[in-house]
Amino acid sequence: MTSLVIEEEKSTMTPSAHHGAGRSIDSRRRLRLRRSIGGLAGTVPALAWYLLFLLGPLLGLFWMSFYDQPGILADSTFVGINNFTHVLGDPAFRIALINTVLQVTFLVPVLMIASLLLAYYLHRKPRGYGVLSVVLFLPALLSLAGRSMAFVAILAPKPFGLLNGVLEALHLGFLERAWLADPRTALLSIIAVELWGGIGFTAILLNARMASIPFEVEESATLDGIGQLGMLRQIIYPMLRDYFGVVAALQLIWTLFTSAGDVLLLTGGGPGYASTNLAYLVYNKAFLQQDLGYATTVGVLLFVAGLVGALTLRAAFKPKY
Amino acid sequence: MTLQIRSKTRLRRAGWGLSHALVWVYVLLVLIPLYFLLISPFKSNPEIFNTPFALPQTFRLSNFVSAWQNASLGPGLLNSLLITVGAEILTIVLALPAAFSLARSTTRLSAVVERLFLLGFLIPGFAALVPTVLFAVRLNLLYTPEILIFYFAATALPLSVIVLTAFLRTIPKELEEAARMDGAGWFVVLLRIYFPLSLPGVVTVVLLNFLAFWNEFIFSIVLLGPDPAVRTVQVALPDLTSTTGTQYGLLLAGVLVAFLPPLLVYAFLQKRMQSAMITGAVKG
Repeated sequence: MTSLVIEEEKSTMTPSAHHGAGRSIDSRRRLRLRRSIGGLAGTVPALAWYLLFLLGPLLGLFWMSFYDQPGILADSTFVGINNFTHVLGDPAFRIALINTVLQVTFLVPVLMIASLLLAYYLHRKPRGYGVLSVVLFLPALLSLAGRSMAFVAILAPKPFGLLNGVLEALHLGFLERAWLADPRTALLSIIAVELWGGIGFTAILLNARMASIPFEVEESATLDGIGQLGMLRQIIYPMLRDYFGVVAALQLIWTLFTSAGDVLLLTGGGPGYASTNLAYLVYNKAFLQQDLGYATTVGVLLFVAGLVGALTLRAAFKPKY
Repeated sequence: MTLQIRSKTRLRRAGWGLSHALVWVYVLLVLIPLYFLLISPFKSNPEIFNTPFALPQTFRLSNFVSAWQNASLGPGLLNSLLITVGAEILTIVLALPAAFSLARSTTRLSAVVERLFLLGFLIPGFAALVPTVLFAVRLNLLYTPEILIFYFAATALPLSVIVLTAFLRTIPKELEEAARMDGAGWFVVLLRIYFPLSLPGVVTVVLLNFLAFWNEFIFSIVLLGPDPAVRTVQVALPDLTSTTGTQYGLLLAGVLVAFLPPLLVYAFLQKRMQSAMITGAVKG
């Protein structure tokens, strides 16, 4: 901290010291540059810190995908593009890819549309608005591990699980199953848990943006006799479109990356590979199967997919004017 | 004509009534798991299975005691607290001078630096999970609380700097000029003028980061490991399923204990927390 103070003092001193000297334009420009760098001295520690711990490992990711390393403490050997050919030809990777595509194409649209409708409902300030906004917020406060453990208890097989008990009480006993251990419902259960955790908060985000729409716009539309759905589709949504795209892109990225924890704690990727997605495959290959080359290669593919997907979504929701 | 309009309004009213119903069904779907989580820890296993929705007959605390012992929740909570507080302090110490510089500077270079921080939103830390672990090995810090504090601060920095910068820009320049006239230096200006005025912004950032740090799971398990002496409470929770099987009262007791700090903070600072979380997501 002291060195920063000194540097800063120097940079504020110099201009006055040189001012009357009538320097050339070139040296004045250099002076201005030095001054602007001096003024930014405070950003150096933060910038260095975040580049070191975030950008560094990201660059390392690309580097490592060309190496084979059987374990965290093992030596690595250069293997060229072997990791990529191995991963792309691996049946496990193909299953994880399909599961990821299924998860994203189901979760993101459902989440966004449900949240939009809910946000608009809140926007009308219905009775119970206060209670509603608190309730919608609660799942966002529960940690990933806490949420997963609660649903492990809720979705447990007979006679323990809450859901199966409720289904039986409703005379829907034929639907009962071990939700997390059944290959037909394992991935679906993960998606449902993520929707449970995500819809309310996303709705509150969209609602906050709706609140910034000028009141007059809606008022004049109401006078024109527009219905609720018409109001949402023709007035609110077009004004929200760009932001809607931003949130959708964020949701895509969150789903692609953070669901590794959900998969790990809810199903462990099973049964077999039934609920393994790409994010969990990274974790599984690196820390359970000790194949770091494979894991980083999937990491690279996941990073590229996230970037391309997010940019595509952003572009698709760009305002049309 | 009037009949047509009337039937149209009636249809609309019915549609709106339907949305009331749908929303409250959704509310029920959100609340039932939370209710289950809230009451089950106080019940015995047969009570949970036979009458899952009934209130506990006696408020037994034995589940909490067993969970505390089985998953060593005490050390877990303490580790979580230390790491959260450490990362909060480190984040603010790094972010505040950066935001201070960015807010005062209007040069082209500062715009570039600000863009560099914005770029941080695009870096998904999880993609680089494995290299981050190897980096921790290189630093000789794997399985130490320090590495998690360092890493958490790094992940929080881009957002913290951007939010704080936006906040500091709202502080009038005249205040600083007046202090400068009185002979105050860079650090004094930061500490005496900007810091007190920026406290609401700092609170926003601290709340936002609190939730992220306290609740984090994946990096906590890979960087800190599952050793009961050093792991966080979030990493301790899943242990309750492997050591206790289907003792769900016990499992949910652990979950509830780990859920309490965010819940309490939210209870006391509801509006602030809400706006902090909205700010945080919007900036992304």
